[in-house]
Amino acid sequence: MATHTQSFWTKYIFSQDHKVIGAQYLIVGLIMAAVAGFFAYVFRYHLAYPDAEIPLWGTLDPRTYNMLVTTHGALMIFWVAMPILVAAIGNFLIPTMLGTDDMAFPFLNMLSFWVFFLSAVVVVTSLFVPGGGFDGGWTLYPPLSADAYLNTNPDFWKALFSGGSLVILALALEFASMLMGGINFMVTTINKRARGMSFSRMPILVWFMNFSVVTFMFSVGPVIAGALMLLLDRVAGTGFYDAYRGGDPILFQHLFWFFGHPEVYVLLFPTLGVMGEIIPTFARKPLFGYKFIIGASIVAIILSMVVWAHHQFVAGINPYMAVFFSVGTILISIPFAGIILSYVATIFGGNIRLELPMWWAVGFLATFLIGGLTGLYLGSNTFDIYAHDTSFVVAHFHYTLFPITFFGFFAAFYYWFPKYAGRMYNDFLGKLHFWGTFIFFQLFALPIFFLGLNGQPRRMADYTAFETLMQDWHIQFREIATISAILLILTQFIWLYNFIVSLWKGKRVSSDNPWQANTLEWQAPSPPPHGNFEVYPEVYRDPYTFGVVQVNGTKRDFIPQNEKLPS
Amino acid sequence: MQSTTVSLRRVPQGRLALWLLIAGELIIFGSAIVVYLLLRLRYPEWGAEAAKTHLSLGAFNTLVLLVSSYFAAKAHEASLKKLKGKVLRYLSLTVLCGLIFLGVKSYEYTEKISHGYTFTSPKLVEAGQGAAALFWSFYYFLTGLHALHVLVGLIAIGFIMYYVKNNKHFHRVELVALYWHMVDLIWIFLFPLLYIMQ
Amino acid sequence: MNIFPEAVSTYAHEMDKLFWLITLFAGLGFFITIGILIYSLIRFRYSPQRKPMTFRGNTFREFRWVALGMALLAFADFYVLYDEHDTWDKMMQSVPEEKDLHIAITGRQWNWIFTYPGPDGKLYTADDVIINEPNSTIHIPIHKNVVFDIRSVDVIHSVFLKEARFKYDAIPGRTITKWVQFHRPGKYELICAELCGVLHSKMRNFIMVESEEVFQQWLDELYAGTNE
Repeated sequence: MATHTQSFWTKYIFSQDHKVIGAQYLIVGLIMAAVAGFFAYVFRYHLAYPDAEIPLWGTLDPRTYNMLVTTHGALMIFWVAMPILVAAIGNFLIPTMLGTDDMAFPFLNMLSFWVFFLSAVVVVTSLFVPGGGFDGGWTLYPPLSADAYLNTNPDFWKALFSGGSLVILALALEFASMLMGGINFMVTTINKRARGMSFSRMPILVWFMNFSVVTFMFSVGPVIAGALMLLLDRVAGTGFYDAYRGGDPILFQHLFWFFGHPEVYVLLFPTLGVMGEIIPTFARKPLFGYKFIIGASIVAIILSMVVWAHHQFVAGINPYMAVFFSVGTILISIPFAGIILSYVATIFGGNIRLELPMWWAVGFLATFLIGGLTGLYLGSNTFDIYAHDTSFVVAHFHYTLFPITFFGFFAAFYYWFPKYAGRMYNDFLGKLHFWGTFIFFQLFALPIFFLGLNGQPRRMADYTAFETLMQDWHIQFREIATISAILLILTQFIWLYNFIVSLWKGKRVSSDNPWQANTLEWQAPSPPPHGNFEVYPEVYRDPYTFGVVQVNGTKRDFIPQNEKLPS
Repeated sequence: MQSTTVSLRRVPQGRLALWLLIAGELIIFGSAIVVYLLLRLRYPEWGAEAAKTHLSLGAFNTLVLLVSSYFAAKAHEASLKKLKGKVLRYLSLTVLCGLIFLGVKSYEYTEKISHGYTFTSPKLVEAGQGAAALFWSFYYFLTGLHALHVLVGLIAIGFIMYYVKNNKHFHRVELVALYWHMVDLIWIFLFPLLYIMQ
Repeated sequence: MNIFPEAVSTYAHEMDKLFWLITLFAGLGFFITIGILIYSLIRFRYSPQRKPMTFRGNTFREFRWVALGMALLAFADFYVLYDEHDTWDKMMQSVPEEKDLHIAITGRQWNWIFTYPGPDGKLYTADDVIINEPNSTIHIPIHKNVVFDIRSVDVIHSVFLKEARFKYDAIPGRTITKWVQFHRPGKYELICAELCGVLHSKMRNFIMVESEEVFQQWLDELYAGTNE
């Protein structure tokens, strides 16, 4: 089916094929990652050498520093992690894993990508408008972001085409795009599973993708309302967040973090899903606690809606309420600990093939563990009084979001590359890339924990004004972090080279199922054509049937989901 | 554009997607309303401002929307039997009601604005009644956002009428009717909160 | 190098002890998990002869080890909450009855404004003394309960005295009242910890902690200065 010829435009640009749309999300996400990574290099360089000229950039004034930090945060979360983890991985994998030809609404899928593309264009434009890009922190806290002290009559057009307003508009477009994509994911999952693919036989990744978009859908409403009000404060001169007109700046923080905290799980779930596929395949062992993982995720989603105020322990909220949020915050660590331990239990007792995707999975577990455990310090409301807004927080969320975004993406990349490219990557360069990323990341983020514990506040253009923050070891640690960050960025060029060369010149895969996995995407041709399958598969079992078995007289240690055994 | 060919479950895709969309919309409006209510509790003086809204026009508009919802439901009923003429008639009546709603709303807006109760109400701010001005900001924000949804609904109904006229996509009448009921439902929440709660 | 800056307030040591308690739990969790992970990776490397285990964690017997891990974490969590509660109560939920000195500290772009009560000893009266200049130094007495009214006139700032483990946001439209008692004299930097605009990183003032007598002398000079 679906073999009709397509012009270049309908095949690659305005395509409705889920794989092409996935690739489009991926490319835009990677370009934005390059921009955000370059910004990180510039301001990290400035932090280590405050007076030096920055190669490839020049000098950096505090306003531009704030703008770079703000843009780095916003881009990495909303234009790198969201499109790559949720949209790209979801688009590539959900239809193929479910054994179907495409998403439920291919046109909506295309539309959601183009709305996303527009949002990316708007956010990049916001950097070049008169007055410069937005510099008020990616959390958009008013009144700093609202520019509206008793200003009931701003110049509408000028205010609209200012950095801050464009960032808010871009966010709104991005959210609309992700909502469309999310609805598509859910309808596809409910409606388009292959014959025999009951919910309890779905690969865990499909579950996690749906958890991700459900979490997004249920948490994004408040921040959409809040961002609209913020936009009105900027362009129409309303006073929703102006304390002198009865408004309340803290209100925005509530609306923002009601979304902002679940957002972390929106990003974490796809990565957990990727790991849930990779780990059993390479440990040659069934996933431990499939049903438990699903249940724990649902508990975590519910809890994630009642933890938001832990970002505001020092923002004058009622101390008794703070204890409530602190309890919620530490409770939510328990289901996630269960999931991580389940993955470790999957590895335990297996027959482990340490192929490259498995290295990334193990690297993710080890790194994310530190990120999760340092959350204990911040979840404790008392210690958070001290640690809040210091570099400790910066190190903590880089230790969570970096493994989520990049270890998650690269694990998925190396695992599914043979399938979607039909060719193999260079294993040596891949290992080099892994060790470079793993080591330089630790060297980059670990020193920042110590700087934070010593009281270094975050988001400061330079620390030269503060004598106690300019001790020798502070300066050295900043240098170590900066040099490691630069090496970390440079390491990614190994991957880029490997990616491009392997895409054109890599060895063709000899089997459609090189990892001997069980899920349905491995039963499709490599790369899957438009429509994915030649014969639509029928499913007979769950996706994690690993372990030595006799099939038709030959010994094997896996049985694909769609293989019918002789009774 | 045709949706894809392989669909093995018999859940109507459009309806499912629309329910999800409605859930998303209700959360957006819900959170805006919660914010309004929290501030309403903080500022008792908002009662006096709410008294200045045009209660009878608001009540009339509520009635108009309820009637329009009834027409939308009738259109859906007719669409199940593919009665083209009936569907078109009821959808036109729905559109008419929607337009009346927007007309009355814009009359209310112009009247309020001529009295100085604008989006930012600078007069109130200068008189030191910042909180009262905030009520009007909320009034315009909530009703404006709702009016925007009415407008989107009207455009969507227009498209559906075009399809039905060409004997296509009768099942989409149900979708647009669902959306219209949601718009109606939101107004039913907004009306007492902004007009009655004095 | 010390992990923490010098602890100079009455609750700073409790905060540091809390840190080490959490570090104990987090460290245990980290080393146990990483230990099992590395052990598995070495012990269960691929071999064509090995028959991997096939447990799926669906029975309690198989699941109990993960359950134990979660239970230990829950214990650690609640122990931390229990342990920290006194400190939290002291810092957040009670302002001492006895206010030895009551100062308003107001954030603005980009310095802190300090308001001292005038000779009548009461804040928010006509004779208050206002110090509003960048890099100014204010003085407070040692071993006394100093109560701060934290406010802001423009955007959100955050008062951060790292040596005292004292940090609260200054939010326009609100007054947040918190207290601190220093037990070591010295000159400490007052940092703004919440991004507040272009010169956020230059927003710096000092707090000089000194003995009661020296402080009184400084206060008298301050009053005299305003009476000129």
